[in-house]
Amino acid sequence: MALVVLRRLAQLIFVLLVVTLLAFWMINLLPGDPAMQILGYGGDEAALAQVRAELGLNDPFWSRYADWLGGVVTGDLGTSYISSIPVAESLADRLPVTIELLVLSQVISLGLAIPAGLAAARRAGGLLDRVLTTTSFGLLSTPVFVSGVVLIMVFAVRWPLLPATGYTPFTTDPVENLRSLLLPSLTLAAGQLAVYARLLRSDLIATLQEDYITLARARGLSPRRILWRHALRPSAISLVTVIGLNLGALIGGAVIIEMLFGLPGVGRLIVDSIFARDYLVVQGGVLLVAVGYVVVNFAIDLLYGLLDPRIRHAS
Amino acid sequence: MLPEQKTVPAKKRRRFGWGFRLALLWLLLVIGAALTADLLPLPDPGTTLTGEPETGPTPGHPLGTDGLGRDVLSRMAHGARVSLGVGLGAVFLGLLIGGPLGLIAGYYRGVVDRIIMTANDIVLAFPALVFALAVIAFAGASVRNVLVVLGLLGVPAWVRLVRGVTLAFAQREFVTAARTLGARGSTVMWREIAPNVVLPAVSYAFIIMAVVVVAEGSLAFLGLSVQAPTPTWGGMINEGRSTLETATHIVLVPSVVMFLTVLAFNLVGDRLRELTDVRQSGLEPARPQRPAVRAPAADAAPAPRREGPPPLLDVVDLHTGFRTERGLVRAVDGVSFTLERGRTLAVVGESGSGKSMLIRSILGLLPGSGVERSGHVHLEGEDLAGRGPEDMRKVLGTRLATVFQDPMTALNPVRTVGTQVTEPLRVHRKMSRAEAYETAERLLASVGIPEPRRVLRSHPHQLSGGMRQRITIAMALSCDPEVLFADEPTTALDVTVQRQILRLLHRQRDERDMAMVLVSHDLAVVADHADEVIVMYAGRVVERGPADALFTAPRMRYTEALLRAAPDLSAPSHSRLEVIEGRPPDLAAPPAGCRFHPRCPFARERCRTEEPALVEDTIPGRSYACWYPAGEVPDEGTEEGAGDLTAEDGNVGSVRHGG
Repeated sequence: MALVVLRRLAQLIFVLLVVTLLAFWMINLLPGDPAMQILGYGGDEAALAQVRAELGLNDPFWSRYADWLGGVVTGDLGTSYISSIPVAESLADRLPVTIELLVLSQVISLGLAIPAGLAAARRAGGLLDRVLTTTSFGLLSTPVFVSGVVLIMVFAVRWPLLPATGYTPFTTDPVENLRSLLLPSLTLAAGQLAVYARLLRSDLIATLQEDYITLARARGLSPRRILWRHALRPSAISLVTVIGLNLGALIGGAVIIEMLFGLPGVGRLIVDSIFARDYLVVQGGVLLVAVGYVVVNFAIDLLYGLLDPRIRHAS
Repeated sequence: MLPEQKTVPAKKRRRFGWGFRLALLWLLLVIGAALTADLLPLPDPGTTLTGEPETGPTPGHPLGTDGLGRDVLSRMAHGARVSLGVGLGAVFLGLLIGGPLGLIAGYYRGVVDRIIMTANDIVLAFPALVFALAVIAFAGASVRNVLVVLGLLGVPAWVRLVRGVTLAFAQREFVTAARTLGARGSTVMWREIAPNVVLPAVSYAFIIMAVVVVAEGSLAFLGLSVQAPTPTWGGMINEGRSTLETATHIVLVPSVVMFLTVLAFNLVGDRLRELTDVRQSGLEPARPQRPAVRAPAADAAPAPRREGPPPLLDVVDLHTGFRTERGLVRAVDGVSFTLERGRTLAVVGESGSGKSMLIRSILGLLPGSGVERSGHVHLEGEDLAGRGPEDMRKVLGTRLATVFQDPMTALNPVRTVGTQVTEPLRVHRKMSRAEAYETAERLLASVGIPEPRRVLRSHPHQLSGGMRQRITIAMALSCDPEVLFADEPTTALDVTVQRQILRLLHRQRDERDMAMVLVSHDLAVVADHADEVIVMYAGRVVERGPADALFTAPRMRYTEALLRAAPDLSAPSHSRLEVIEGRPPDLAAPPAGCRFHPRCPFARERCRTEEPALVEDTIPGRSYACWYPAGEVPDEGTEEGAGDLTAEDGNVGSVRHGG
């Protein structure tokens, strides 16, 4: 196990280097003079020279990257030329909102997907299974901005039960906080729910054909007990991997949700900054998201090892 | 050892269904609208105030107008161009780059494969939409940039798919043949493998289309796809949000169209994939039909067949069949037997003769759907068919216990041995955790497991096969069963361990005064441990009787052949190991007459037309189903092929089964 962790750790560091390199290189995509783009077109020659010096645009690419990476490691992502706020600070302000949204949506989607997958697999081919399979296929084909608009139309416009936009911090009012996040998390959960339920169903159907399941039946155990205690755990292991792989789609969805519901999260900060041509914030935001994604996947890989005793004991 | 023959239904020729056709129709409609958007008599999509703003459907504007009075239908048609155009472009770009990479990785394997797949995994390690956002933020939003970014993001998925298909095909005969004939690697790759990748790639292209349409829609929704005045679906949904309360249709039309289009692409791709994916076709669960277990036949009343107390286990005319595409597969076809305490009944036959299915049928452990079962199982006179699933579970594990063939798969890999062994004790005996563990420890010790306390804490993969089988036996014995069903309990084990396990089972039977049903195709096992034997062929009992009589002088020709096929370790090493020619019959369409006749060297005309019934022999308790049984008809009187079985050793009685 220790060896596995070390190998994965080496891989993690390599991937993180590639991620930072890509994020850094993005500035080079800017057409023309990056300094001019960053300042907007109003900057005078002196300001431009200052930006060039600060960004080290006159130095070779690799030494600039090394400098920048040194800053990143110490939490220095630069300071926005537009708002004059350190990039790291704006990101730190926005991060809790995004994390709350992601966690809440995962709780909702798993909370619904696990019972749905179990119910469908219990009588594969039955009426309930067909209804659930069709529903999840439909959910899978619904873009988040479509399901979000529909939910707003139903729960905020037609019957004004929940706020359509806006965000209340948890520290201000916990109840309002949950109310303001309920529609966004539901929207984000809908697509994930379909992915998880489908996967769990097919995995459970395969598990239920194992000898140890037949033997559990031969020991007179009830179907409920067999499903929850004998079949769910082996199948849950593959579910965990998919949760990790799915995180990319989830983060993409979160960006749209934050725009749609007006949540002040990292995704909205990135998009707003794109329109404001606040490139350093965009760069920092993208870096944060990519690093978060890679690190969470690393953690899930370790968790996978802990869940499966066959891997845990492999030395 | 032959694997148990499974009845796999012939590959399903599923029709596409109406969903698939509707989906295709919708896609044609959208594509048609996109192609002819300029030719149709529609107002210009960018012209404002072509009519009243925010009106619903009118004759001039079939889908109404938006907040600026622009025609929604026209904007939808022009928006389709962006969605489909970007989608198509991205799919081709991804395939163009990912296809060859996947082919190379799958064909050459080794280092090339590892390098390509590692790079692939790294690219996959980026959240796609955020990456696209960033690139477009810096490089600018234009059709070209959106198309290139979405196309590149699809590359890893294409590499993975094409590599998988290539790997599968690179092993096939025609590819190996081409290679042996001296064709160059690249020629083989492009001529022999690439064409076979086309079909899966087409189905995948539809699914990727759905993904790209959603991704382009997402960018457009954020205002980062093609810029105004060109209309996009995502952009229309975004604009429509401001008029949600006054004119719902402005947001609803693009939402519904987008949903239907994505759904249609997914549906078509999914159906096509099902056709090409070999793994998928066999796993389709059967549609539920009639109730799984049929109500007992008319003569449901337990008819005691003899005087005195009822036998411990009495199986009467048990039938079990599976409904498949080819008809009913009769796995168990009218089997009856009785069994008393302290005795072992052996069920022998080749793989696929219905032995294991007989056990599962007696215990009611059949798959949920597509099964037809009839007949009776009486346990001390009580018909188990009268018990519902709940009551049946009270018998299973307590009075009837089971041990399976493969101890590697019989234990749940992710639960500790302790939880598994104590489970029946806690469920059936309602023991506390501590009590159950104490009992489990004694149980494991009684089946010869050293350090039971440590073993209880371990996971199955940490133990050897023999240990695991001892554990499954301990589990089976935990609630003091009256009948133990052992389905090939030693087949998957080492020869040295086999003996120990058999002795263990035998000893436990004596100590606990249980009855045992021992299923085996190893006649040496049976000869040493069984009191009575039934021989099964094609789902039927073809001979039964006391073990000694049956082994020394078999009557049915199949039994005779089985005995000859058993390896005899005491025979000189140069002697030939005989096999039974031919294969077991197709249980969906068994041969007419005696089911063994196509493989029987003694078969005559009568065997081909009339099915022999089980008849009593002169030895009490023994019966057989054969028109021309061994030891009765002179062998030289038989027809063709008589020599095959008798040439080497005419005297059946001399065959030994010690092994």
